[in-house]
Amino acid sequence: MSHYSGNIDDFGMDTISLAGPLEAKLKAVREAGFTQIMLAARDLVGHPDGLDAAIAAVRGSGLRVTGFQVLRDFEGLSGHLHDYKVDIAKSMLEMCHALDCRLLLICSSTSVHATDDTRALVKDLRKLAMLAIPMNIRIAYEALSWGRVVNEFPQAWDIICEADMPNLGLGFDSFHMFATKTSLDELDMLDPDKIFLVQLADFMWTEIKSVEERIATARHFRVFPGEGVHSEALATLVTKLHRLGYRGDYSFEVFNDDYQQMPLPTVAQRAWRSALWLGEDVLRRSVPLPNQIRLKR
Amino acid sequence: MSTHLQTASTDRESILDAVNPLGLDGIEFIEYTTAKPQALGQVLEMMGFRPIARHRSREVLLYRQGGINVIVNAHIPAMPDGAAPTDKPVIAAVAVRVRDAAEAYRRALERGAWAVPSRVEVMELNIPAIHGVGKSRIYFVDRYDKFSIYDVDFVPIPTVDPHPPAVAGLHFFGIVQYIGNDRTEDWAEFYRELFGFTELPAEQRFGILPKGRILRSPCPPSSRFYLQLIEPEASVLDVEGDEGLQRIGLGTADVLQAVAELGKRGVEFVESRGVHTENRGALTKSWLGSVSFELVHDERG
Repeated sequence: MSHYSGNIDDFGMDTISLAGPLEAKLKAVREAGFTQIMLAARDLVGHPDGLDAAIAAVRGSGLRVTGFQVLRDFEGLSGHLHDYKVDIAKSMLEMCHALDCRLLLICSSTSVHATDDTRALVKDLRKLAMLAIPMNIRIAYEALSWGRVVNEFPQAWDIICEADMPNLGLGFDSFHMFATKTSLDELDMLDPDKIFLVQLADFMWTEIKSVEERIATARHFRVFPGEGVHSEALATLVTKLHRLGYRGDYSFEVFNDDYQQMPLPTVAQRAWRSALWLGEDVLRRSVPLPNQIRLKR
Repeated sequence: MSTHLQTASTDRESILDAVNPLGLDGIEFIEYTTAKPQALGQVLEMMGFRPIARHRSREVLLYRQGGINVIVNAHIPAMPDGAAPTDKPVIAAVAVRVRDAAEAYRRALERGAWAVPSRVEVMELNIPAIHGVGKSRIYFVDRYDKFSIYDVDFVPIPTVDPHPPAVAGLHFFGIVQYIGNDRTEDWAEFYRELFGFTELPAEQRFGILPKGRILRSPCPPSSRFYLQLIEPEASVLDVEGDEGLQRIGLGTADVLQAVAELGKRGVEFVESRGVHTENRGALTKSWLGSVSFELVHDERG
C-alpha cells in the first residue's frame, strides 16, 4: 500500500493493461493503492483452475469490480444471429453477477450483418437491459469509434435516451472521443446520472488518419492519462464531467503492448501516478475525512 | 400493502385498462417452498386455508380458500439447484392468469425475460415460467376457466370440500416485494415492460403500510392485484442480496371482521407504535421466521 494516498478511490485499473495471471494482476493493482479493477471475461474463463477459482480470487483480493467487459456486436442483428448474441449476453451477465459486479460494458456494433435501423438498436438494448434487471446489473453502452452505425458518444446517448431503461446508460471512453474529435461541448447534453462509467486513456500522437490506424492505436498504443499528448484535453474532460455532476468511477482503459512486457508493479505505479495527477492536480480534491462513507449510487 | 379508493375511481381507471398486453387476469396461485410443509400448513389453516389436493409425483400440497390458491412445495430436487426448500418458507413463485400462456411466455422472452427450464414428469402440465425477483419464478397459466391445472397435476384429498369458503371474503390483493437500494425504477420497468403494470401516484394509497411504490396490474377490476416495491430503510446500507417476495396481501371488505374471525382461529396481529389494526388494514405476526399476511381494505369480496 502506498504511504501516500489521496482521495482517488474512484480511479481504477483495467486488467487489459497488465500481463500475467489474474492473481498477479489483482495483487499489483491492490499494492499500487487502487481499490477497484475492471475485469474482462477472459480473466475469468482463462483461469487455469476455472471460473470458480477466478471468482474466488477476485473476491479474496478485496478489490471492488468496477465493471465487466465486453459484449461486442450485440445490437441490430436478427434471426439466429440475434438469438446467438442473446445467449452470449446471458453468459456475460451470469459471470458478471457471479462476481457481484454491477456493471456490464457493451460497445457499439461493428458488424456488417447488423441493421442501421435505430428502432431495432433501441429494442435490442432494451432487451439487454431487461435481462440485466433481475441480476441488479447496469448496462453501459459505449460508442466504439469504429462502430458501424454508432461511433460517437452523442449517437449512443440518443439511443440510450430513446430506450429509456433505468439500468441502461452511457459508457464513455476518452480515447474514442479524441479519436473522432467529438466536441467537448457535446458533454453538456448528458445527464450525469446516466453516465455509468468513464474510461480514460491517452495516446502518443495527435492525428489519426485512418480507421485502421485508429483501431491499431486503440488496441496497442494507448497510455495512461498524463503520459500522452492529450493531457490538457483529458484534464478539461475530467473537470467538465465533474462539473456536470458525474461522481461515478474512472477506469484506465489502456491497451499497450509495451506495458504487456513490463513488470506489473511498474505498470501499476504508472497508473497510480496518473490517478494522483487527475485526482490531486486536476480535480484538486481535498484529502478524505476519516471514516468518510462514499454513498453508493 | 396499501390500497386506494376502489369506489368512484373505478370508472376513471377503466380508460387505462385497454393496456393489458397479456390479457392478465389475476393470480392463479402463489407457491411457497419449505422444508417444513406441515408447520406452514398449520399456519395456512389458521389463516383459513384448507388442504384440498396433493401433487401426483412430488411432495406438494394445494391449499385453498375462496378464490385463493396456495401451493406448498417441499419437493427436494434430484439435483441441487439452489431452489431447494429451506426451513424458512419462501414465496418461490407467483402464477398469473393470462389469455394465452404460450404467447405470454414467448412475448416475455422476446423482451428480455429469463426462461426457467421446465422439469415435468410424464403426463404433467408444462407450465411456462420466467425468472422473477431473487430465486422466485413467475408462471403463466391460461387454464383456469373451464378446467384447471390442478385437475391434471393434483389428486384431490378424499372427503374434503374442494371449494372451501373464504374467511370474511378474503381474496388476493397483492404481493409485497423487498428490493435493494435504488432498485425501484428497475423493478417498476420490469413489471411494466413484461406485464403492463402501471404505477400508482404517491398520494393514491391508503392502508397501514404505505411505503415504497405500488404497481397496479392491468387486469380487469374484478381480478386486479397490486405489487408493492419496498427499498430498505435509509439506515440499512446494503441488503442487495436480499431481494425477494416478502408477503401476500389479502383483501377484505371488512378488515375488523376478518381480524376478529382470524383472531378466533389463533391468528395474532401486530400492534406496535407504527403498525396496528384498523379499518384500512392489519398485519399478522410473522410465523416460522418469514411468513406473514397483510389484510387490506378492499370492497371486492
